[in-house]
Amino acid sequence: MNIRETLGTLSAMAGPSGFEHPVAEQAAGLMRPFLDEANVDRFGNAVGVRLCGKPGAPRLLLDAHLDEIGLMVTGVEDGFLRFRTIGGVDPRMLPDRELTVLTHPSILGVVTCLPPHVLKPGDTKKAIPISELRVDIGMDQKEAERTVPIGTPMVFRGGCFDLKNGRLCGKSMDDRSCFTILLRTAELLKDKPLDVDLYVMGSTREEVSGAGAKVGTYGIHPDYCVAVDVTHAKTPDMGKGRRSNIGGGPQIGVGPNMTRWMTERMVGKARELGIPYDLEVMEGHTGTNGWHMQIVREGVATSVVSLPLKYMHSPIEVLDLADIEQTAQLLAAFAEHLGKEAGSIC
Amino acid sequence: MLSLVKELCLLNGVSSGEDEVRAFIREKAAPYAEAMRTDALGNLIVFKKGAKATGNKLMLTAHMDEVGFIVNDITEDGYLKFAPVGGIDPRVVIGKRVSVGLGRVQGAIGLKAYHLVSAEEEKNVPKFEDMYIDIGARDRADAEAAVSLGALVAFESDAVEFGYGMFKAKAIDDRVGCAVMLKLLEEELPMDCTFVFSTQEEVGTRGAFGAAFSVTPEIALVLEGTTAADLPGTDSHRQVAVPGRGPVLSFMDGGTVYDRELFELMRELGEKHQIPWQLKSGISGGNDASAVQRTKEGVRVAAMSVAVRYLHAPSSVACVQDFDHMHALARKWIEAVACL
Repeated sequence: MNIRETLGTLSAMAGPSGFEHPVAEQAAGLMRPFLDEANVDRFGNAVGVRLCGKPGAPRLLLDAHLDEIGLMVTGVEDGFLRFRTIGGVDPRMLPDRELTVLTHPSILGVVTCLPPHVLKPGDTKKAIPISELRVDIGMDQKEAERTVPIGTPMVFRGGCFDLKNGRLCGKSMDDRSCFTILLRTAELLKDKPLDVDLYVMGSTREEVSGAGAKVGTYGIHPDYCVAVDVTHAKTPDMGKGRRSNIGGGPQIGVGPNMTRWMTERMVGKARELGIPYDLEVMEGHTGTNGWHMQIVREGVATSVVSLPLKYMHSPIEVLDLADIEQTAQLLAAFAEHLGKEAGSIC
Repeated sequence: MLSLVKELCLLNGVSSGEDEVRAFIREKAAPYAEAMRTDALGNLIVFKKGAKATGNKLMLTAHMDEVGFIVNDITEDGYLKFAPVGGIDPRVVIGKRVSVGLGRVQGAIGLKAYHLVSAEEEKNVPKFEDMYIDIGARDRADAEAAVSLGALVAFESDAVEFGYGMFKAKAIDDRVGCAVMLKLLEEELPMDCTFVFSTQEEVGTRGAFGAAFSVTPEIALVLEGTTAADLPGTDSHRQVAVPGRGPVLSFMDGGTVYDRELFELMRELGEKHQIPWQLKSGISGGNDASAVQRTKEGVRVAAMSVAVRYLHAPSSVACVQDFDHMHALARKWIEAVACL
């Protein structure tokens, strides 16, 4: 598969939390060439499976979420839309932001911004709260009411574009880039024998509750799971603390959310294959689906592997395509012989 | 008209780097021009003969430049630091896509991930000096291979219609004025006209000074884009202008008190020919008129503009009908001026 092309397709699709259906269908379709079957479950998760053929084999679940942050129309005022956020959206980057309003067919919207002359002096330095922002859809009240029902979701407009050095910039890299990693992992494993049943899940609603991964994991009933998500890479405006650059390979999570032997095995495979990696120490909630998956049913041995990403939750998220390949190589190595080599807590 | 505005808006022409726009206009204007020249400041001055030989009596002007940024430093990590060129509201900048230099190196203006923003930080908009552009460079040397200090940075934005008869693009201010002038150039005109496609309006109407000096008109008409603030909750007297209500006629702004007779003439012609018009109801902003008016012995000036929401931002919004109405009213006004 062509990683750049696949991610380009997924990034350009609209699927805010609770409205992932088109993305999930696409994701299931993308999985099928590498797995026995793939479908969308009743919660909207795209789930694919490749059975290893051994009866009662342990199950490995690889998860990445398909949903993206977005906005939700809550009212119409003089033809302009009022809205709330779906997931964490920084209001400071909204003024003059282009949106796709997910009506059928979808339409263009632009977040309003009052010109400076209408403001009090100094107001251009102050952030505008969401409650004071509106979306301009170029319509009057009557047309707007007819075209955009309250409850219509919206996402950032556009997809992604290339920067220098194989770096990619765009919306919903969080977490479609990691779903792309899972596709590439399944492809790498395609002709290799496995001793575990491999499940790949593109989950829903991560940005609002992690509910997709929670119920999906219950349904799959895995023995081991890996939550693959993005993590903050180093940027110039970041405060103190250790952060890796993009292009430095996957970040392997360490902490209570990550089962120790899973982490150690992940690190061991990275070393063995010479895959660049870094450890990401997380003392509590990892902010990933791993947090929810770990405590499904009787509990699941969990690992969190992250792709470094800059400007998370913006329409200009930046990643390094090489990190996608490196992470897929690592996950493929982790999956191979897992049944035989699985650790345990003594 | 719309397709012409679209083409013009897609070109990059941050003040002092209007080359792309000038080359485009030069080619379009050439078949209709009696004489054409580019002066020291980069203004493109096009003379076209009309039915009446009035020489340099009338000058029309629209500016080619747009607001943007200029690269003033490159960090060790390969990020570009920048300063605004022209008046840009810092609230519309973070997280926007940009294009750097003549080679259009693609980039984006970075921002802190929302998860890492403190409640205190969230109240304020970052300052320009704290912002940076990411082009994907690995380090300073890598960035320097693609971008040099002084490179001009333009917003990246497509030109599309949306809603009911609305249009979204960057640089509608003032490519719409350029488009109207190109349309007029194509037509038989009632009098001789000198068209000035001016430079550096956004940094202090710098181009217009020299152009007005060399043309030395008696009368000048400025074709512009102006602020529309017709958003919900804004008092009507602060809305300045409303897209869809026709060209915005200026009697006074931050730089100029306009010639009363020429202003009234626009208004009368609008009424007479059923062309919608509106008044610029806020005394803010300015345009090339202030520079032109005070040239040599003085010039009688008038201005009409298209109302543009989010004026100096990458996603500006205007009403398509207003483009044609501005053209129609400008045309009628020239016919009347030919008889003055």
